[in-house]
Amino acid sequence: MAPLVQIDNLRKEFGNVRALDGVSFNVDSGEWIAIMGPSGSGKTTLINILGGLDTPTSGCAIVDGTDVARLDEGGLTRFRAEKIGFIFQQFHLVPYLTALENVMLAQYFHSTTDEREARTELERVGLGDRLDHLPGELSGGEQQRVAVARALINHPKLLLADEPTGNLDEANEKLVLQLMSELHNEGHTILMVTHAPEIGALADRRIDLAHGRLAQVKASV
Amino acid sequence: MFGRLLWKMLRSNRGRLAVALVAVISGATVISALLDLQFDIERKLTQEFRALGPNIVVSAKSGGQVVTPGATVASNSADLLTESVIEHTLEAHRTPEVVASAPFLFVVARVAGTPVVAAGTWLDQLAKLNPTWRIQGDWIASRDDADQCLVGRKAAQQLGAVRDARIGLDYLGRHAQLRVAGVIDSGGEEDNQIFMNLPAAWNLTGEQPYISLWQLSVSGTSASIGDYAAQLGAALPGYDVRPIRAVTQAEGSLLDRTRLLIASMVVLILVLTALCVLATMMALAMERRKNVGLMKALGGSIARIMSLFLAEVGVLGAVGGLIGCAAGVALARWMGERVFNASIAPRWEVFPLTIVLMIVVALAGALPLRLLGKVKPAVILRGE
Repeated sequence: MAPLVQIDNLRKEFGNVRALDGVSFNVDSGEWIAIMGPSGSGKTTLINILGGLDTPTSGCAIVDGTDVARLDEGGLTRFRAEKIGFIFQQFHLVPYLTALENVMLAQYFHSTTDEREARTELERVGLGDRLDHLPGELSGGEQQRVAVARALINHPKLLLADEPTGNLDEANEKLVLQLMSELHNEGHTILMVTHAPEIGALADRRIDLAHGRLAQVKASV
Repeated sequence: MFGRLLWKMLRSNRGRLAVALVAVISGATVISALLDLQFDIERKLTQEFRALGPNIVVSAKSGGQVVTPGATVASNSADLLTESVIEHTLEAHRTPEVVASAPFLFVVARVAGTPVVAAGTWLDQLAKLNPTWRIQGDWIASRDDADQCLVGRKAAQQLGAVRDARIGLDYLGRHAQLRVAGVIDSGGEEDNQIFMNLPAAWNLTGEQPYISLWQLSVSGTSASIGDYAAQLGAALPGYDVRPIRAVTQAEGSLLDRTRLLIASMVVLILVLTALCVLATMMALAMERRKNVGLMKALGGSIARIMSLFLAEVGVLGAVGGLIGCAAGVALARWMGERVFNASIAPRWEVFPLTIVLMIVVALAGALPLRLLGKVKPAVILRGE
């Protein structure tokens, strides 16, 4: 069975700065990968390319059979809507939409909205009683759980999480990580950027980046 | 979901949008008032110009003439107008509306030895034919009344004729006694004349049923009046039919200039409104970069995202246009009463026209939102 994600000799340059320098690795379907490394090592750039938010300078990044490097603007838009679920460190919820509407927004851009399904997804992340709350009325952990529900609502092939617990207190961090574990156990493929080794240890494999290069790949104990 | 998102966007930006809305309402108010005025101006100016008196004169080919003492009315009576010709022609040509018309037979009679021009006419039409004339006394409501007359202000002074007095007119040995029903102040040469109904004039001259000329006051534009005059000319080939150019051309010229002025003002206001919306939208576009970046990251196509923003601007234009239209009706009434001393009736076609104009202007003012199409989600979501 072909890997879900195939990255081969991936390079990304911003002017004279080389953010990614010949990165290659594969991710199998259902794997939970932790991408680690110091600031400026290229973790977020890698996630952005895999999520179709950015394009590589050279190399290829194939996700579920689609070479992201070859997609035009419209193709990248459809790719993001159909294959990727994003979870950001800053949550990035639309402030004037309720929790329910933030989840439905992803449905709207994917195809059609289904309020009942969005409600179910929020209940699954423990926010059944917060459906009509605005992001400003939710705690950081609750906002991140809304973001998780939004990422899952279109049944993406790949979940990309960029330091999902970076803005959370310890209690909420535990909640979100527990949720990620549940998603992994359900068979979701997760690529998660993190600084914290103890979080990285939860993943199946850990990929370390340094100066845009692959420093080491090792399986978690 | 589209409507839900639109509603939430409108609510969340109500402060900024209120500024643009006020601009659109103000623009729509003035534009709808001006358009009401534009559509009604022709009718109003036509009414105003009708007050200047008759605008078509029909006479025999030899010209309208005053019958002097001792002269015959015409050498060839076949060329002269008759009352029956007039009545038949009026019956056959009803469009555009003939506000008033009256035949005239002018004779030079004597009153106590003093020569004076006496005009036989339809006295019941005189007030409508000459709306600016003033009278001391009463207008005469019947064109068959052969016992009363109206006397011009100067003639009345010269003859010592006052209301209810009786004056005797002499013409070639014939005599008529008439009661003065009123004294007319026309501000023109008519102040020197005596007006009586045609039967009284014919009794005096013994020359019925002929008349010297026929004056008409026809409603409509200078072009339609010209057309009507041409129709009459075709129907009365033996007669001269002349629109009074000074009145009709002045009316056409004033109409054209007024229309140009109004059109220029409408364009200017549209541009100013668009600029105001543009300034607001520029600020809004900057504020929305983050949300647009997020929407793009979630797989929102630029067309779908922009359709939301354009719908928002469209609603702004439509609501502003609608409110402005209602306010414009009041402004048009006020302007009509101030400028034309008459109310301007709201024209229903102005409503959709103003609303469409405001939507177009609002969309034109939303051009800065195009910048959102260039937003790079990765850059925005990094917080740059």
